[in-house]
Amino acid sequence: MELRDIVSGSKPVKIQPSATASDALVSMMENKIDYLLIDRTGPNDAYGIITRWDLVAEAIAYGKELASTPVLDLARKPLVVMNNLDLDIRWVAKKMRNEGVSRIAVFDKDAFLGFVSDVDILRAVVSKTRTAKGAEQ
Amino acid sequence: MTSTPLVLKDVVKTWELHSVGPEATVHAAMQEMLQKNCFTLLVPRKNKHDAYGIVTKKDIVSKVIAEGKDPKKVKVKEVMSKPLVILTDLTLDLRWVAKAMANSGVSTVAVFDKGDFYGYVTEACILEGVYNSLRRAKLEQGTEFVSC
Repeated sequence: MELRDIVSGSKPVKIQPSATASDALVSMMENKIDYLLIDRTGPNDAYGIITRWDLVAEAIAYGKELASTPVLDLARKPLVVMNNLDLDIRWVAKKMRNEGVSRIAVFDKDAFLGFVSDVDILRAVVSKTRTAKGAEQ
Repeated sequence: MTSTPLVLKDVVKTWELHSVGPEATVHAAMQEMLQKNCFTLLVPRKNKHDAYGIVTKKDIVSKVIAEGKDPKKVKVKEVMSKPLVILTDLTLDLRWVAKAMANSGVSTVAVFDKGDFYGYVTEACILEGVYNSLRRAKLEQGTEFVSC
């Protein structure tokens, strides 16, 4: 099972880098998602990501005012990136553990393919064993 | 945030978590998670002197798949967190609930009220509570504006 097989091609919801933490919260709740991609300001800038966990552990836990906290104070920037599409998913899981993240951006050369999450990995491992069973029967 | 502080009681959820036995394999736990679309499973205790445990998607990804182990050979009891992280004060400010989560590095905290099991609080519950209070504050502002 390789990285290529588990990338989900769905477009992430974006947020402007000038937004505040409460804008991010409202966008997450309205779109029913748990992460947002932070857009870059120019071609030399990096993308960032903000997750539910960042809002809880970095802002609410320190009693910060969400409406006046810029989203960039809480975000992870630059992204954790992988570009070798033939890599075994074991090493994708290991990368997640080493970096302490649950979502990795996948690029093929320059093109952004999508994110890989920990749920994608679980789903891939379960479906792999299921197809192996089917082949035996 | 609003003038009245949010407390733990406002956000705690009292549903039952799905459970998985400590002797079950990680593979069975993964199937249960994907079927129920619930990525946290409770591990029940054997007797009243035992503690409850919990197993999440993060445990499985970082302790089984990242190590290259076979999920069919690893048992849930080898990767679960035990005992649970608990909170007992239902009137605790939401800020300290979030801090307790951040300090212990877990996303699900069990809540007990006077020794009885009360419910769970996750990071999603906290955000939902904050979002609802923001919206309520906006609504209140809106009605004031109309009455002027």
